[in-house]
Formats: sequence, C-alpha cells, structure tokens
Amino acid sequence: MAEAIFRLNCISKTFPGVKALSRIDFDLYPGEVHCICGENGAGKSTLIKILSGAYQPDPGGSVEFEGKRMVLTPRLALELGIQTIYQEFNVFPDLSVTENIFAGLEIVGRGMVVNRAEMRKKAQDALSYLRCRFSPDALVGELSSGEKKLVEIAKAIVFQRKIVVLDEPTASFSVSEIEMLLDVVKKVAASGIAVAYISHHLDEVFRLADRITILRDGMKILTACAGEIDEQTLVRNMVGRDVSAFYSRQLFPQGKPAIEARHLCGNGVSDIGFTAYRGQILGFAGMVGSGRSELMTLLMGGAKRTSGEILIDGKPVDFRDPWDAIRRKMCYITEDRQNTGLFLKHTIARNSIIANLVNRRSPFIHPREYYAVGQHYIEELRTKATGANAVVATLSGGNQQKVVLAKWFHTDGDIFIFDEPTRGIDVGAKQEIYQIMINLLKQDKCILMVSSDMPEIVSMSDRVIIMKEGRIAGALERAEISEENILQLSIGGSSI
Amino acid sequence: MKREKKSFLIFRKNSDLQTVSVVTFFFVVAVLIYQIIAGFSTKGGLAYPSFIYPSNILNIFIQVAAVGIMAMGMATVMLSGGIDLSVGMMVSLVAIFIAKAVMHWGMSPAMSVVLALLITVSLELIMGFIIAWLNVEPFIITLGGMIACRGIALLIARSQEIAMEQNLAWFKTNVFDWFNSDGVKLFGFKLQLPYYVLLFVLIAVGTWAMLKYTRFGRRIYAVGNNPQAAYLSGINVRLTKLLAYGFNGLLVGIGGTIALVRQNTGIITVGQNMEIDVIAAVVIGGVAMSGGKGNAMSAFIGALLMGAITNAMTLMRIQFEWQYLVKGLIIIVAVSGGALSERLSNRKAVRSQEDPSCKIDSQS
Repeated sequence: MAEAIFRLNCISKTFPGVKALSRIDFDLYPGEVHCICGENGAGKSTLIKILSGAYQPDPGGSVEFEGKRMVLTPRLALELGIQTIYQEFNVFPDLSVTENIFAGLEIVGRGMVVNRAEMRKKAQDALSYLRCRFSPDALVGELSSGEKKLVEIAKAIVFQRKIVVLDEPTASFSVSEIEMLLDVVKKVAASGIAVAYISHHLDEVFRLADRITILRDGMKILTACAGEIDEQTLVRNMVGRDVSAFYSRQLFPQGKPAIEARHLCGNGVSDIGFTAYRGQILGFAGMVGSGRSELMTLLMGGAKRTSGEILIDGKPVDFRDPWDAIRRKMCYITEDRQNTGLFLKHTIARNSIIANLVNRRSPFIHPREYYAVGQHYIEELRTKATGANAVVATLSGGNQQKVVLAKWFHTDGDIFIFDEPTRGIDVGAKQEIYQIMINLLKQDKCILMVSSDMPEIVSMSDRVIIMKEGRIAGALERAEISEENILQLSIGGSSI
Repeated sequence: MKREKKSFLIFRKNSDLQTVSVVTFFFVVAVLIYQIIAGFSTKGGLAYPSFIYPSNILNIFIQVAAVGIMAMGMATVMLSGGIDLSVGMMVSLVAIFIAKAVMHWGMSPAMSVVLALLITVSLELIMGFIIAWLNVEPFIITLGGMIACRGIALLIARSQEIAMEQNLAWFKTNVFDWFNSDGVKLFGFKLQLPYYVLLFVLIAVGTWAMLKYTRFGRRIYAVGNNPQAAYLSGINVRLTKLLAYGFNGLLVGIGGTIALVRQNTGIITVGQNMEIDVIAAVVIGGVAMSGGKGNAMSAFIGALLMGAITNAMTLMRIQFEWQYLVKGLIIIVAVSGGALSERLSNRKAVRSQEDPSCKIDSQS
C-alpha cells in the first residue's frame, strides 16, 4: 500500500474526570474506507473531533498529515483537505444545491462577481460522477435526507478533498437511501479519497470497509482488514469489560404489573409491547436514536399516540398531556436535565415543588413551604448544596440530577422513567443514584430505565428490552442479560 | 446545611436588588449634591431640598401611577417569557374609547370604563392565544397589535381629540380628605393623594403576592425559564402564557383609564411611546428579557425610580433633550452593570461548588 496520508500516534484526550481516549493509534490510506466501531461512549465522537481539529489531543502523541507533524485546527483541517460530515445536517435549506456546495467558498471572477456558471458546472460534474439524480439548481430543503447527505459529500469531490470523515451518515435513512449512500461512499473512495466511516450498522460496515478499527472505553482494541474478521468477533471485541465495571444489586420479587403497552405506535416508534412490574427495573437498551426516548415521551403523554394502548395497573389510560400522566403517578426523569428537566436560574426549593403543582388543590403556596420541601429532599437525597435557596445552575451534574429526583419524589409517583439516569455524573454520585433507585424498588415502585451505559443496563435491569429503529428487536430475561447479547440485538444484522 | 442569610426586606437574594440598588444609590447621591449646591448658591445657606418634600414624593407617585400599573402587567408577561409592545397604543385606544363613549355616545363613565377593560382584556387574550397556540414570536404579534390598536383608536376618534369635562374626577378624590375635609398639610404644603395612586399601590402589592404566593405565579416563572421542562413537569404552558396576557390586558385597561384621568382628553398621544417607559421600568427592575427571572416588587421600584429621575431632572430645569439622553444612558448602564455583577457573583458561586462532573457537562 502507498504511504499513509494521515496518522495519529499514541493520542490521548482527557476531560476533567474522564479519559475519553487513551493512547490511540490510527491511520488512513488514500482510497480506503476505514470503519470505526464501538458502543455508545467508546470514544468515536472524540476521535472524529480530533480528526477535524475541533479538539486538541493531550500533549504526548502526534498528528501527522502526509508525513508532517501538525497541530490541527478546524480551519487548517479544511485547508489541508479533511472534510468532516457530522451526523446532523449542516445545510442551508433555502439555498440551491450549487449555493450549498460553494457556501463561503464561492468562485469569484473578475470584478468581485461570483461566477455562477462555473460553479454550476463544477457542481453538475460532481453530481454526475456520484450518479445523483437531482439537479444542482434544486432547493436543498426539498431534497430527501439521503440526498442532503449527498450534497455534503459532493463538496468533497468538488474541492478535491483528501479525507472525508462520515459520522453515522445513515441514521434515520430508509433502506433505498442507505443503498444509494453506500454506492456513493464507494465511488468517493474509488476517486482516491480516504474515508473514515463511523456506523452502528454492522452490515454497512462489512459491505464498505477495507479496514475496521474497534474502540472500547477510549482504547483501541484492534485494527484489522475486513476479510480477517467476522461479525461474532467484532461484537465480542466491542464488549468484554472487566468484571469490576459491573455492580451487584439486591433483587426483589416480581410485583403486580404497573404499566403495560400493547401494539403501541406513534412518535416514531411502532408496535411496542411490554409489561413492567412493581419492584423491578425494566431496562431499555439500544443505540442512540433507536427510539427509546421517543417511546418514553409517548408513554408520558408528551406526543400523540397513533394506535395501540397503554395500561396502568391493568386499566387503559389515555394521556393527552404530561399532566395527565403525572396525576396517574408517572414520573419522567429526562435524559437532558439541563434543557428538559430543570429550571436552571431557579433555586432548589422552586425546582422541587414544580411538578407537584398538578396535584395541589390550593391555589396558594407560601415560599416557606417550598423551602421546607427543598430542604427535606436535600437531606433525604444528600444533595451537596449550601441550602434550598441555592440556584440550580451552580450545582454539579450529580447534584442537579438529585434535584430532578426531588422534583419527582415530591409528586409521590409510582412509575419512574429514568432516561440516562447517570449521564455526565461522576462515579461516586452514580452509586448514590443507583442506591436511590434500589430504595424505590423496596417501596414497591416500578422503574423503566433507558440507558446507553452498558455496565449500567446489565447490572441494574431485571429485564431488558432492546430497541432498534423504533421497534423492539428483542427482550432478555435476567439470566440472559449480557453485553454481548444486548449488542448483538441492537446492532447485529440478523437476530439471534 | 445552614440557612441562607435573609437580606434587606423582601429580597431574599442579593441579585434581585443589584440593578435597582446601584441606580438608586447614585441617583440619590447626585440629587442631594445638586440640591445642596443649588441651596447654597441661591439662598446662601443649607436649604431643605425640594426633591424630598413629602409633597414632591407624592407627586412622583402621581406621575408614575399609570406607567407603574402597566409595569406590573408587563412584568408578568415578561416573566412568562413574552413581551408586549402594544400597551402604549392600547392606552390611547382606552382613552379615546372612554372619552368618545362618555362625551358623544352618552354612556355613563362607570359603564364605559368597564367596557374599556373588557376590550383590552379581549385584545390581549387574542394576541396571547396566537402567541401561545401558534407559537409565534410575541415581539411580532404585539407589534402588529400596536399598529392595529392605533388604527382602531384613530377610527373611533375620527383622528380628532375629544376633551372631557372632569367626568372621571372620582379617581382623583384625595385620600387625605377622609381625615380632614380641608386636606392635610405638611411643611406648609397641602398633600395630594388621589385614589388612583392608592389603586397603583394595591395593584403592585397584589401582583407581587400573586407571583410569589400562588400556584399560578410559580407556573409563570417556570414557563418563562424553561418551557420544555415546564411542559414535562405537568404545566399547561399555553394556558399559563394566555392568562399572563389576559392579566396584562386588565392592568393596561386600568392604566389607560388613569392616563385619561390625568390628561382629561382622549387623544392618540396619551399612550404614545408609553410601552417604552413601561418596558424600561420593568427592565431597570431586573426582570430578564429572556423570562423567568426578576420580581414584581423590583419592577415597582424600577417604575418609581424612572419617575423620580424624570421628576428630579425637571426640578433641576434640565432641558428635555438632555433628559432623554440621561434616561437612555441610565437604562444601558444599569442593566449592563447588573448583568456584569450577576455574572461575577455566579462565577463565585460556581467556583465554590465546582466538581469535575459539571465541567464535562459544559463540554459535551
């Protein structure tokens, strides 16, 4: 093979308290498709951000481009010819395809006038090379999501980039769009561009990859040529943690069914059926974007149910809004506590009473009362704060999460939905949150837990439901729960 | 866990006070210095400063009443995350409607005031409905409302002014007449305290209590700070916004009536640019434009402060051109100074409770 165009030697990246990448070696050769695999949180996104210059690696390693050591910045990366295409779309919907491709990099002719004809011709050439069926004059907002992605890829052809990084390009694509994209990626590589490709879909990986790199917990496990590795080996290498990463918890006998779903559809999920029992944790695993949080929002009445039914304590319910759900003793600890869980500018006391306003009869409420409520939960949950009048924005992640819990505990709920209960929380606070969850089970409450943290879902759940593309891909009983089984179901091409 | 120290009066947190207190302090110092110098130069001795004559203090309340009442409504709307530009023109509409109804249509003053309140409440409810249910930018909708109100008012008045004959004099009844029909004198000046000033104070206290001590008040703050979290906490976000606008409509109606009482003429200029004064008062009082932060009491003080500044400058015979400049600068300095000191104190608070996990949050 020719000389590597890009090489990372012994790269580490540390965030305060967390080592996101540790001593990674990674290289790219012209004309190859190099796939990067790993679970949620394995370090793929951090690696991409180092490739694109958005993050600076810790001192110690080196970044080499065409054999020369570099300190990358986003601007320099682009000038060198590294094009990063992120999972979210970065397009201007009201501009045409040509204008999108040349946005900020217009070809200027004599007299500072933009040379439209030249730009359109170059865009047309790139589109026909990629065999795209839309015109360079089409408005990008009117293209399908697959075609929007192609517009971003066409940029790489037009500007003759040397490296293209694709982060989860096929998330939310239909089958035919995935086919189209895979063909385009092959064409891009055939033109001599090096492609780094991140995907959760193993079938895509095996169809495209020349080489595969597996990451786990910030470490590189292996890099292998695609022919030398099969799906089983790949999955086994993505999991396989130390036993010390798991917790053992107290188990309780299965109580009465608390919440059931039957053929539930709506909000991007379809045909969901499960039963969750009191005294147990029902885990929901799956890749990011598999529809787990959407399902929880649907259960909570935050989105419209198109068909199917939800039963609480055996009786069908019809929630029009979250307040209906709160009255029926449901609690929803959202995945994004800063944006959908808390009122950051307000005090702990004010945050603690807000969800229970639904159940209050009296229209009056004295600040003394919510101060007392806030103080009570600070002591019960051992929140570290100067007092119930501390503003929530000043607390750490773990303590903010406890304020969210206080908000819901005060409603005296029965069914708790924990969406990513310990995201962005340090290890000590994690253990405390787990203990709080176990205490809830002791009180005969029911917990639904969405988590992308593999050790968490494996050690905390009594049963696990695995979701994939808005549907249930499988369910595992306590004895069957293992990292390997979960991963196989959530990303594997075929079910086991 | 020690209880946080309660600071001055109603303000539990210092940050509530920052903007207002800084401006008040410098303002009072400036006025006193000026008065002392002026006293020396004219009378050759220390004179009792005219600005703090009890009669002048009451004057400030009289001058500020209409804007102050509307500031309470505006504070409620802004705390819920909205804004209302239409209040000024709505005041003109109210003034013209009442004047026309009483003088030309032969309606009783009481009846026409009640009708005017109904009109403002329904107009605000319509705008609130569009803002809350269709989720449109409140700035645009109320801007449209402002222009439309101007049109309605001019149509009713046929672009003319309508003079009244003290038909609403009841609002001006002096409170001190209760004690002594000749009025109460202090330092040789007769004290004037019309009913509408009393109404202003009552409304201010009522709004403050509503925002602080009721379930509805808590919902307003929650919706203004984080509508998404409020929705998921079981709050009817749309209804809360709608009611905030409705409440504002009621207070605009009352404020408009009082503006008419003071001017005694139904004319389009009654409420012109009043929305600017109202928003300025609320903002000086430390209510955040982004919603969810601030309180009614500091908006009340903000309104009084703006009134006092205008009053003092008039006493000092400062030309009105300069007055605009000074008022504008005060708003800019006060609000940016308040934001700066708040950022400093927040940074201190964060530093004292920092741990590694919150840094990760800010990076991801």
